[in-house]
Amino acid sequence: MQENMIELNHVSKSFQNRSVLSDLTYSVGRGEILGFLGPNGSGKTTTIRLMNGVIRPDGGEIRIGGYDPIHDGDQIRRISGILTESASFYQNMTGLANLRFFADLYGVHDPKRPAELLEEFGLADAAEKKVGTYSTGMKKRLGLAKALLHAPEILFLDEPTNGLDPEGIRMVLHQIAELNRRRGTTIILCSHLLQQLEVVCQRYVFLLGGKVIEQGRLAELEAKYNPQITLEVETDLPLNGDGYRGVAARRLEPGRLAFSLDSREAIPAFLRALAQDADLYSARQVNRDLESLYFQIQEATSHE
Amino acid sequence: MNRRAIWAIARKDIRAITANMQVWLPMLILPVFLGVVLPIVLVLAFQFGMDAASEDLKPILRMLEMLPAGGLREAIDAYATLNHKVVYVAANYMLTPFFMLVPLMTASVVSADSFAGEKERGTLETLLFAPVDMLSLFVGKILASLIPAVGLSLATFAIAAIAVNAAGWPLFHGLFFPNLNWLPLMLLVIPMISLLAILFNVFISARVATFQAAYQMGGMVILPVLLLLAGQLTGVILLDSLVVTILGLVLGVINFVLLQQVLKRLDRTLLFASQVK
Repeated sequence: MQENMIELNHVSKSFQNRSVLSDLTYSVGRGEILGFLGPNGSGKTTTIRLMNGVIRPDGGEIRIGGYDPIHDGDQIRRISGILTESASFYQNMTGLANLRFFADLYGVHDPKRPAELLEEFGLADAAEKKVGTYSTGMKKRLGLAKALLHAPEILFLDEPTNGLDPEGIRMVLHQIAELNRRRGTTIILCSHLLQQLEVVCQRYVFLLGGKVIEQGRLAELEAKYNPQITLEVETDLPLNGDGYRGVAARRLEPGRLAFSLDSREAIPAFLRALAQDADLYSARQVNRDLESLYFQIQEATSHE
Repeated sequence: MNRRAIWAIARKDIRAITANMQVWLPMLILPVFLGVVLPIVLVLAFQFGMDAASEDLKPILRMLEMLPAGGLREAIDAYATLNHKVVYVAANYMLTPFFMLVPLMTASVVSADSFAGEKERGTLETLLFAPVDMLSLFVGKILASLIPAVGLSLATFAIAAIAVNAAGWPLFHGLFFPNLNWLPLMLLVIPMISLLAILFNVFISARVATFQAAYQMGGMVILPVLLLLAGQLTGVILLDSLVVTILGLVLGVINFVLLQQVLKRLDRTLLFASQVK
């Protein structure tokens, strides 16, 4: 049994009698990358704040690395790095000066660390420029560099790719995956950009209205919700009507067809049959993604 | 307490002042005026324009008359002419309340920015997520205001000492300022009055969201000093070393009580909640 780095048991929180989180229970194993999913206002940011001990839960129990966030908050903050949407840098200080300041706060011993991180995040040229002149993407990368200053064991990333260009997104996701692989960092990744999470996350927690509505690995969730599968196939099969061998089909463009299958298990047989009838160049499952699953789970929850 | 974090916070805030001319230049206007221009004008006016302004000198003359026996009486009596006496008293006593304004104003401006400004710019959240205990954060912030306030006051005083002695040189042909009266002011009252302004701002900043509001409210601590100034100028109070020492001790007691209250309320979650927009 894997040791849990993060554990929340029946945690609840309300602000001015408005319940934000209720009966929140989930755990994250050491070295796991957890995708924390939910629409805006579902309680993701509140959960991150609770786990860092800057707000008090109304009920329930939280353990981060074995520590309680309210009583041993500094212990938790020492071993965790955090990137949030609302936390800012000092705009009148340079990127390097900001990182040096936080290196002091986080007790980083290596004086070269801030400059190395700037280099790593492509900010070496902007090191001596004031943060006020940085673009959104640069600030986000600086935020990640700050979160990694003290080589934390746990990383809380709230919307780490928001405002980044595609190249920045790729770089950040690569960094996250590398960090986890090399150092075994436990990572909680909050996002509403689902297709990005898929690349890096090993497990998911779905949050809606302050409640965990579902959690598990992608394959487990797929098996449970058994979503209809759309297969995009590059083939010269002539299509008559809107079906082929009892499977709903439509033409996307010349040479490309989309088939709707009922399950994943139906794919191999279907493709074997198709290969007999026509030339087959490529086949890709297109909605095997979080996004469709996410909506399915949300829908299933609202019907309950 | 986390020494490295304390100094990092203090250093950062002090640099934020020194790096920005728009911040430090206005801060220097008051010290230069109160510490250099005003003393010189005062000394020169009493030195050369006494007869013309004898009507206006009544408060000082009254002050001279009501002096009790003791060090000051002897010091005054040692001077031969009324001219000497008046300039000596003007420089050594009438300037006292002005030198309370310098640390007060500096501490108010710096601490209003240091506490409320951190909230306003969203950087308090970043600070609260860092592994720095609340006491260290608080001490770092206090030092960030205390060091510039006391430093600027002492520097102003050093310059004033040179300016006053230079202006009075034709009359005295020697040093006549400062007398011992200033020692408790420099060592006790100035740090205490700075600390009071800072603690007052801590209380205000916990309740208001912007630097502007904190600064406006913080300006209120100036009122008692203006009362002292009025008292001194009308001859009701004489700020001699005993009065100044007592004043410093009273400020010390007030600070101690305020500090207890602040320390009791130091709570990360409360501070965090106060900055959430």
